[in-house]
Amino acid sequence: MRERFRALDSRLLWVMLALIALGTLTLYSAGRNTPQAGIWLKQSLWNLLGMLLMLLLATTDPRRLFRYSFPSYLLGLVALAAVLVIGKKIGGATRWFVIAGQTFQPSELMKWVTLLYVSHRLGSKSPETVGKLELFGAVGLVVFPMLLIQRQPDLGMALSFLPILLLIPLMKGFRARWVVALLLLLGVGGFGAWKVALKPYQKQRVLNFLDPSADLQGKGYQVNQSRIAIGSGGLIGKGFTSGSQTQLNFLPVKTTDFAFSVWAEERGFLGVVLALGLFGLLLSRILDAAREAHTHAEAYFCAGAAGIFSLHLLVNVGMVAGALPNKGMVLPFFSAGGSSTLSFFLALGLIMGILHRSRVK
Amino acid sequence: MDPRQRPLLRRRLGVFKVMTWGLVAFLVVIYAWLQLVRYWEFKQLAMQQAVKIRPIPAPRGLVLDRNGHRLVDNRRALHLVIQREDLPTRPEVVASLAAALQVDPEALSRKIQSYRLAGKGRPLVLKENLDEAGIALAERVRARFSFLGVEVAPRRVYLGDELAGHVLGYVGEVDEPLMKAKPDLYRLGETIGKEGFEASGNDKLKGVDGQKRILVDQLGTEVANFGQADATAGHSLFLTLDAGLQKVAMDALGEEAGAVVVLDLRDGGVLAMYSSPSYDPNLFLNRLSQDMVDRYLANNLTRPMVNRPIQGIYAPGSTFKLLVALAALEKRVVTPQTVIYCAGKKNFYGRDFRCDKPTGHGGLSMVQAIAQSCDVYFYELASRMDIDDIYATAEKYGLTERTGLDLPQEKRTRIPSRAWKRKAAPKDPKWYAGETISVGIGQGAVGVTPMGLARFYALLATRGKLLTPHLFYGFRDDQTNALEPASPPAFKDTPLDPKHWAVLDEGLREVVLSGTASANPFVREIAKEIPFSGKTGTAQVATFVDRAHYARQAKNLKDHALFAGYAPSEHPQIAFAVVVENAGFGSTSAAPVAAKVVKYWFVDRLTNPLPPPRGKLVDPFAPLPTEESP
Repeated sequence: MRERFRALDSRLLWVMLALIALGTLTLYSAGRNTPQAGIWLKQSLWNLLGMLLMLLLATTDPRRLFRYSFPSYLLGLVALAAVLVIGKKIGGATRWFVIAGQTFQPSELMKWVTLLYVSHRLGSKSPETVGKLELFGAVGLVVFPMLLIQRQPDLGMALSFLPILLLIPLMKGFRARWVVALLLLLGVGGFGAWKVALKPYQKQRVLNFLDPSADLQGKGYQVNQSRIAIGSGGLIGKGFTSGSQTQLNFLPVKTTDFAFSVWAEERGFLGVVLALGLFGLLLSRILDAAREAHTHAEAYFCAGAAGIFSLHLLVNVGMVAGALPNKGMVLPFFSAGGSSTLSFFLALGLIMGILHRSRVK
Repeated sequence: MDPRQRPLLRRRLGVFKVMTWGLVAFLVVIYAWLQLVRYWEFKQLAMQQAVKIRPIPAPRGLVLDRNGHRLVDNRRALHLVIQREDLPTRPEVVASLAAALQVDPEALSRKIQSYRLAGKGRPLVLKENLDEAGIALAERVRARFSFLGVEVAPRRVYLGDELAGHVLGYVGEVDEPLMKAKPDLYRLGETIGKEGFEASGNDKLKGVDGQKRILVDQLGTEVANFGQADATAGHSLFLTLDAGLQKVAMDALGEEAGAVVVLDLRDGGVLAMYSSPSYDPNLFLNRLSQDMVDRYLANNLTRPMVNRPIQGIYAPGSTFKLLVALAALEKRVVTPQTVIYCAGKKNFYGRDFRCDKPTGHGGLSMVQAIAQSCDVYFYELASRMDIDDIYATAEKYGLTERTGLDLPQEKRTRIPSRAWKRKAAPKDPKWYAGETISVGIGQGAVGVTPMGLARFYALLATRGKLLTPHLFYGFRDDQTNALEPASPPAFKDTPLDPKHWAVLDEGLREVVLSGTASANPFVREIAKEIPFSGKTGTAQVATFVDRAHYARQAKNLKDHALFAGYAPSEHPQIAFAVVVENAGFGSTSAAPVAAKVVKYWFVDRLTNPLPPPRGKLVDPFAPLPTEESP
């Protein structure tokens, strides 16, 4: 067992524990005096379970995991297809399996499985020998589950697959024509999405983002209340369990999407800088793992993981401040939720395993 | 990994790292903007929605009769409610709750739905003003549905029910138009008097609302109180009304439609004022049901909402003859001794005007003409005058103006004149002399309110005091419960010539002793004990060919019976006017009502008085209330 603990990277571990501490305090305060008063305890159990998984993966040879990535990917696709048929419908979206009373969201895990498999495929060869066809193939591997997820529908989750595509510039360097191609794709795709693919509620979100004050009682209400919570927190915050926006329930969905607003209101700008600094350190350390990795596949996985974590950070923290559209992307360690928590720890476990292997060799 | 590739990968990962910290920096800048630069703005917004100033409604004053019997009380009302956070969502729960409450499940779920969308701050009221059966039901239902609650709120109680509905009126929430017109006077949801004295005495009764600064949550529920300015209770006050006499008036009219007004001759205080059919103000505190609308608001047959004493315009019939007599005496077209011969009818301007007695009264002096209510005598008087002479006399003695009673929406008495005809009938503006003949016996265009009529007879009783009838008697000293009398409204002195007055007074006495009213045995019996004076009147509602035709007519086309006068005949203390609608002759229907008023006021009230208002509350009529007011 001591061996197993030694496999954990201490820098990553301390940053992670600090973030877990902040997240637990936030959930305690957010759940106070609501029917969700025990949410911090429930989330702690998920965190504990996640850390056990992480410990298990950290001491597993990453190569064995890469070897299972293809069947896992296939299994994931089946799960995504199955959830469309037998999944539980909550609030107009079919995203969840119900297993023993607990809801489980397969798309959370699929993100990491996809990253694992794409890293494995692209990393099995030296970067300069990877051809255009293989790159397109990798894009296809990412886009296919995204399309299945968009059927649920869950645009935020689908978009969280996109950082995997950052592996291409990592391998091939940043090319101007890719940027042009990407902008073109975004332009055409965005227009097409607006016309065809976006559901009315998603269009509403975009419109709300463009003009939040136009719909203060509806969807815009949430972000507006969140901005009031954040802004009124000021430099040092209103104090633990003393945020008026949080405690008087003006702040909506405060245990999941808007958990960071609770922290920002009660701990102020200083607390925000602390939390964002910890996230920065976490991401740095993950990128360090990519630097030190033994194989290309390992390096790609770590880099992709950093990309996925960054996107969650950017979209959630930006969204609650009204700087980005209300996408419903969770913030690791802050937002309550079983599937996402376990998935994040799974990824961290893999990263720790990669760090461990680079150290012992 | 090929070691040659590592530096390239590291360089690119270095770019990733810079981008990562760039992202963190970007977010820090956003938060600095919100939390440091715009801090005050958002702090204000957070305060605005969490800290509210809420009014504390002032307890409304009580209303007592002249002896201190409570007419309007404040009690605690119980409402069956659901707090917002406890609203049932599952349709089967709503359905079984509806079954338990014995209401329509559809209606209940609609109610819950609309409350969910619009209701704020207050819980959803399922059943308001629970009575005993309602409380029992609520307890049974609450045993099964634990989310139900019972809320206690102040409530107005009108103790006599229908006893003084029109006088007291009722309260309700301020109308939106009124509130918008005077936003500095009224606030949203404020309780104000809607009708009757609750409305006209609103400023005295309402008190001054307090306010409190509180912390509310998103649902508007009070979480903390930062301090408050207490409300100042409204004044409790006495009315001039005598509950006992009011009850006598109510019972005397019984099922008949009509009005009774009794005035105190000392100051014009209204001792009784009853409009039949009456209404129970308690019913108007709850939301109006369709049944109530049919029974009260849209009832065009008996019009229960009309306050007949001041809103009913009746042809005064023979009760108007006293004014015609007064005008004739003052115009000197007759003397009291002038004898006019009645042959049962008389021709004026080519048309026969009939007397009530077809065989004729023979030769009559003024006293006899009043006592016998001879129409021909008064046709003759009217024919000797111009309509404007009669109008001028009516104006002089206050019959053309509103009485000024302190209740809302008093109607004006209608006394015709040439000017009036021009305005009322622009197509036929000429006044015909024949019309004056009808006015001589109180028919034609003449219309008076019972209050106006009573005031005129009060003027006769007091030899020329034009009183202002009023209901407000004085404030209650809240420590001693004693009356602090307010000075009564001013009266106008228009003294009658004593010689004229003596004739009219004698005529009114004779009506009861030997004239038209003496035909009724009950009136005779009371008059023996308490001699009183008055004049009968019979106001035509429709014209008929002959008596047989009249007898066949529907009740609502029959004549109104009137009686107006004062008592006792010697040194009078009260004046009264009685109207019984569609009841036939004044002597048989209206005079006995007046006799009952006289009997109560001068005999029963003294020999068999109501229990005095003891302790906090005595409701003289209803069984003692189960709940004492605080």
